[in-house]
Amino acid sequence: MIKKIYLIGNPNVGKSVIFSRLTGVQVISSNYPGTTVEISKGYLQLDAGKVEVVDLPGTYSMEPTSSAEEVTASLLKELQKNEIVVINILDSTNLERNLLLTLGLIEEGYPVIVCLNMCDEASHRGVTIDIKKLESILRVPVVSTCAVTGIGVKSMIERIKESSPVARNRLNREERWKEIGNIVEQVQRLEHRHHSLREILEDASIQPFTGLIMACGVIYASFKFVRFIGEAIINKITDPVFLNLYQPILERMTFYWQEKGFWFHLLIGDLINGKIDFKQSLGVLTTAPYIEFGMVLPYVISFYFILSLLEDIGYLPRLAILLDNILHRLGLHGYAIIPVLLGFGCNVPGILSTRVLESKRERFIASTIISIGVPCVPLQAMIFGLLGAFGGYYVGGVYLVLFCLIIILGVILNHAMPGYSPEFLLEIPSYRFPPLFMLGRKLFFRIKGFLIEAVPIVLIGVLFINILLYFKLFDIITDIFAPLIKGVFGLPKEAIVALVIGFLRKDVAVGMLMPLSLSAKQLFIAATLLAISFPCVATFIVLWKELGLKDLIKSALIMITVSVIMGGLLNFVILR
Amino acid sequence: MPNAINLTKLTLSECQDYGEIIIAIKGGCVYNLFMKEMSLAQIKANRKGKILEVLGDANLQNKLMNMGVRSGKEFTKLSHIGLEGPVVIKVGRSILALGHSIASKIIVEHE
Repeated sequence: MIKKIYLIGNPNVGKSVIFSRLTGVQVISSNYPGTTVEISKGYLQLDAGKVEVVDLPGTYSMEPTSSAEEVTASLLKELQKNEIVVINILDSTNLERNLLLTLGLIEEGYPVIVCLNMCDEASHRGVTIDIKKLESILRVPVVSTCAVTGIGVKSMIERIKESSPVARNRLNREERWKEIGNIVEQVQRLEHRHHSLREILEDASIQPFTGLIMACGVIYASFKFVRFIGEAIINKITDPVFLNLYQPILERMTFYWQEKGFWFHLLIGDLINGKIDFKQSLGVLTTAPYIEFGMVLPYVISFYFILSLLEDIGYLPRLAILLDNILHRLGLHGYAIIPVLLGFGCNVPGILSTRVLESKRERFIASTIISIGVPCVPLQAMIFGLLGAFGGYYVGGVYLVLFCLIIILGVILNHAMPGYSPEFLLEIPSYRFPPLFMLGRKLFFRIKGFLIEAVPIVLIGVLFINILLYFKLFDIITDIFAPLIKGVFGLPKEAIVALVIGFLRKDVAVGMLMPLSLSAKQLFIAATLLAISFPCVATFIVLWKELGLKDLIKSALIMITVSVIMGGLLNFVILR
Repeated sequence: MPNAINLTKLTLSECQDYGEIIIAIKGGCVYNLFMKEMSLAQIKANRKGKILEVLGDANLQNKLMNMGVRSGKEFTKLSHIGLEGPVVIKVGRSILALGHSIASKIIVEHE
């Protein structure tokens, strides 16, 4: 009786794509090793009933060399060997290295199914594998699949019941490599292919000189595209919908609304010159949906489109090579660029993915840097929307301040914290051009996640804030913090409300600044403070889970200190 | 020629006097300078060669071996980012990026 199916394989062989195919559960997959940081579970319908399927993090061998591999090894031992099936997923283009794990699994006595994935890629590269022969050597079922298009997945499911443990001599390390060499020689045929354009691009992106030029080009183009797509959605879709469709409906409603009391204040907010102003009214039905759908969502869509594209092509590990030098000075190594880039979308997945870094020290530095110096898309979108009106010069300034802060903070943390950081060691995937539907699905999945997470908090948050404002309950904290806010940061004392709300959600917090009619300098300071001060509550919880209470407190103290110092510096020195 | 010599006090010209025997100490390991043996960090980019030995602790050795870096394997050094940056090699069918200090623990023989 099969109780569980485990998917196991080297990093970046497409386990998560196979997992999605088997269970219908959508998980993020990308073209770089270590995407799966959380173990996903789903169900597969077999003839005998529903079986749980577990997607394990990438692992190279049965002898664990990292914490992710330890997790994998211990999970495999949870159940009796006759109660599970292990689907071992291999990269067909790299049979030799992948077979190490396969032999290990078979020797341990697990019922194994060997799944040669990326068969399309293999034939592109002139690799042919004799599946029948491999099956007779290994004596376990072998199937060839292409998970991205779904080829072969069905026949793999059919063969799950055929799996059973086979007796195989335990080999020592040398014998095992020799055996692998023999097997590969018997089953694999290589044809020489000429260098394709793809290979030339692959090579150029890792060379010191051409790589740097490409990196600058890619980063610049990505930034331009995110802005271009985001603005296009705002100007062509969301703004017309809000202004020409939604506003007349709301205004007709308010026309019949005679008594403008508590409920009016809650739902519509204040009228500006007798009209609804989506940016300033601050009502649950006016400003709240406008912030989320009219200002933030367009940029969420454009940002994740570009990020997903870069991820799936496989450019990010190459960027990691080029940035290794700089990140080394911050106590990190090149691969830390992945959590940082994800953090630009939302700090939560960014901090979760710091699990690709090995030591606790690195994870602490990376998480602290992300929560202080990396603004999420909602915050960035609002900064663009508000500060952009004063000129792109100011927006660039916020990024420059944050960038300098990351560098200074990283250097200080690297020197102040005991220990040293492990070295960079990473397999670089080849470029792949994902089919558009895969990209679309990933984008849809991420946007859905954003909406589910953000919309309820924003609506409830604005409601809650309006109640507090109506009963003037914010006045107490406003007065307590007035010396700091006014004296040090040079902001009107009501800005404290925005900073407090920043703990709830950053986009709403910037929204709270809109009716205050701040000067460009004040807005600059407030936006920077919102980015570096406390992260939002969701990020806070993830930090707690990932770092533990003690390190969370340490990290939080750093955040508060840095905010006060930076706010003061900006106000009195830099922007004087 | 003396039987015992203090390896740490040897200069390069003295080394050459001992011909093929020994020759330099790095990371507690003796290796030969005249057989064109050096670390992966020292050779130039776009060279081919063969891996001789991986120094360093057992965990690193295992990790590298699992990724296909083990003695006897042929490799091509594809790139080396300056200022002690990472080294990129092609070994077997995979492309690996190694931090500078890992690369200097891999002893290779090149053409």
